Amino acid sequence: MAVDPTKIKFLVVDDFSTMRRIVRNLLKELGFTNVDEAEDGAVAWQKLQGGGFDFVVSDWNMPNMDGLTLLQTIRANPNLKGLPVLMITAEAKKENIIAAAQAGASGYIVKPFTAATLNEKMAKIFEKMGA
Amino acid sequence: MSDFQGMEDLLQDFLVEATDLLSGVDNKLVDLEQNPHDLGLLNEIFRGFHTIKGGAGFLNAAELVTLCHLTENLFDKLRTGEMEISGPLMDVILDATGAVRDMFGNLEGGVQPSSADAALIAKLKAALAGQLAADAVPAAVAPAPTSGVPTPGSPDWDNLFNAVTGAAPVASATTVALEPGMHHDVAGETPEQIIHAAVGRRATDKPGYQGATSGRRDTEKTRDNSIRVDTSRLDQVLNLSGEIGLTKNRLNSLRSDILNGRSDTDTLHALDQAVSQLDLLVSDLQNAVMKTRMQPIGRLFQKYPRIARDLARSLGKDVELALAGEDTEIDKTMIEDLSDPIVHLIRNAVDHGVESTEDRRAAGKPEKSRVRLEARQEGDHIVLVVADDGKGMNAEKLRAKALEKGLISDEEANTMDERQSLNLVFLPGFSTKDVASDVSGRGVGMDVVKTNIQKLNGSIEIKSVLGKGTTFTISLPLTLAILPVLLVQLGQQPFAVPLSMVREILPIQIEQIQEVGGRATMVVRGEVMPIYPLCNLIGWAPEQVADYGVLMQTAEQTFILAIDGFMGREDAVIKSLEDFRPKGVAGVTTLSNGQIVLILDMKELLSDMGGGCGVARSAFIRDLADAA
Repeated sequence: MAVDPTKIKFLVVDDFSTMRRIVRNLLKELGFTNVDEAEDGAVAWQKLQGGGFDFVVSDWNMPNMDGLTLLQTIRANPNLKGLPVLMITAEAKKENIIAAAQAGASGYIVKPFTAATLNEKMAKIFEKMGA
Repeated sequence: MSDFQGMEDLLQDFLVEATDLLSGVDNKLVDLEQNPHDLGLLNEIFRGFHTIKGGAGFLNAAELVTLCHLTENLFDKLRTGEMEISGPLMDVILDATGAVRDMFGNLEGGVQPSSADAALIAKLKAALAGQLAADAVPAAVAPAPTSGVPTPGSPDWDNLFNAVTGAAPVASATTVALEPGMHHDVAGETPEQIIHAAVGRRATDKPGYQGATSGRRDTEKTRDNSIRVDTSRLDQVLNLSGEIGLTKNRLNSLRSDILNGRSDTDTLHALDQAVSQLDLLVSDLQNAVMKTRMQPIGRLFQKYPRIARDLARSLGKDVELALAGEDTEIDKTMIEDLSDPIVHLIRNAVDHGVESTEDRRAAGKPEKSRVRLEARQEGDHIVLVVADDGKGMNAEKLRAKALEKGLISDEEANTMDERQSLNLVFLPGFSTKDVASDVSGRGVGMDVVKTNIQKLNGSIEIKSVLGKGTTFTISLPLTLAILPVLLVQLGQQPFAVPLSMVREILPIQIEQIQEVGGRATMVVRGEVMPIYPLCNLIGWAPEQVADYGVLMQTAEQTFILAIDGFMGREDAVIKSLEDFRPKGVAGVTTLSNGQIVLILDMKELLSDMGGGCGVARSAFIRDLADAA
């Protein structure tokens, strides 16, 4: 990925602000400093419609609009459907992964994870996008 | 040494947020008892445990993860209708919530929590397996389904996911994925890689935030020093300080102009404008900073329904704690100091105020009693109300009790009115129950409640109607840091008195002064009020006849403070005198001209003087004073 990491704009979606901070810090460790936050799917969707985002990292279980619905909403939108969405969740359950995959998630990561794991997942996504 | 080296910041964030979350869960659990089928509540509680689990994982708090996980699974079954809430189940859940709170306590001390009580874990597992007996829990419990906990060796979900997203078309994902045993060869990874991918962690990885380690703080009780502030409020502070910076630049350039001899009207006008602007900006900034300290009192209220419920249950009573005005904002330091007094008032209401179920039935009242906890802002005061619909307080009995305990004399008892009698409960050593319960204590408490409220510059009042209930009303200033004061003068010396006590300022005219019992009084709109000269209160010799009276009102009395003059009002920033507190002085403040002024504590001055602060009418006769 030859792109300048600071140019990639992230949206981190989680209702738990501590978790948003964790993800933000992990991204920072990887050199991604351009990060915005949303506290649930509904807020995220509003921000996304404003445009300018390159990558979404979203929690699953949230009030108002959960991560899966957000993902489905993104995929159903002609302008945003290509946006990479990495799903974060504590659920390592088969049904969940299948649901995420069916909804078109770009990747899936289970809490807790490290910067290295996150990097690996993202590298795979970028690879796929580049191909 | 702390178990969280390098993660202090994360830990602190987590504790603040998770503690809030847990209090919310506690409250919802109380609600859930009333509406066991409320899907919204079940979902929210589920999410609460789920979120705490997620955060705890990053802190390596394995035991907390396990506990939350089991509870979360329980709620998963409840919300999907696989299980139903029962009394014993509720108790297990409440115990689990308590255990989570205990673990937060460990974390706060910088210690990794140890495993939860084995009996609790066994009960949770039994509940999950649908084997929770009403009384005894079998010692050996079948292992509960805990499929969600990511432990090494658990199935490679990640790989499975790849199988679904990668090669296989989405449409056929379900069938592909559900085929057991096939996912190992999908990506051709080694088992280690697969496990790693599935678990999301390497053996050598140190999970958790390892970013910037600057600003490392002591983990001991760090939570108390942090505050959650709405970002829009911080932005306002930032914005204002920026504006002040600009105005400062403007003043700098004007200064060099003036120093260089330019003093034409335009320059002076510009100076005047810049200073006025700075004035406005600084007061805005003060307000904005103050607002960052303001927190909704709901954060404090959250934990009370659970306390009331647990207590009522242990006493065999049916009590509902109704909250109102949770959005009312109050200074953060006050929230902390209010916590204990309110707990005490609520316990008092549930324990002493509310009757037993039988008594309520006999009195024709609904069996379920209501204790109301309410907050609201009234002008520059916050009012807190704790009211019950219990049996009320009997003034007669209170007096008899105080007499018997030797707290008051016969004479005092006979002259006491209803309000004064009720206030007897605030006397140290007063308890109306012969047998002290382990709940509300042994007569220690109510006096402490009053002292604590007074420390916050507040007051507390009781109203009670026999058979109907008792209401405690606490009145508090909005904030402790800034006190609007009236500057009054004795000769040339200014003093500050709290503006909140000031009703009006009147000229003192000898014709209006009447002597009652040898003391000077003045009639204001039909009400007779004593006049207390300020010099008398602080023990100065009178230098001149007081020209003005300030009509002041405290919780106990209304009086006129006689002074020589006044300078106007000011927002005083109170500085306390360290290690030195003269009687009747609340603190000091600095005036705009740099002069230091004492802020008077009127209540203390008055109580110190007892009834002896009045003077004879002759003290206000000008001719006499002039002659002397």
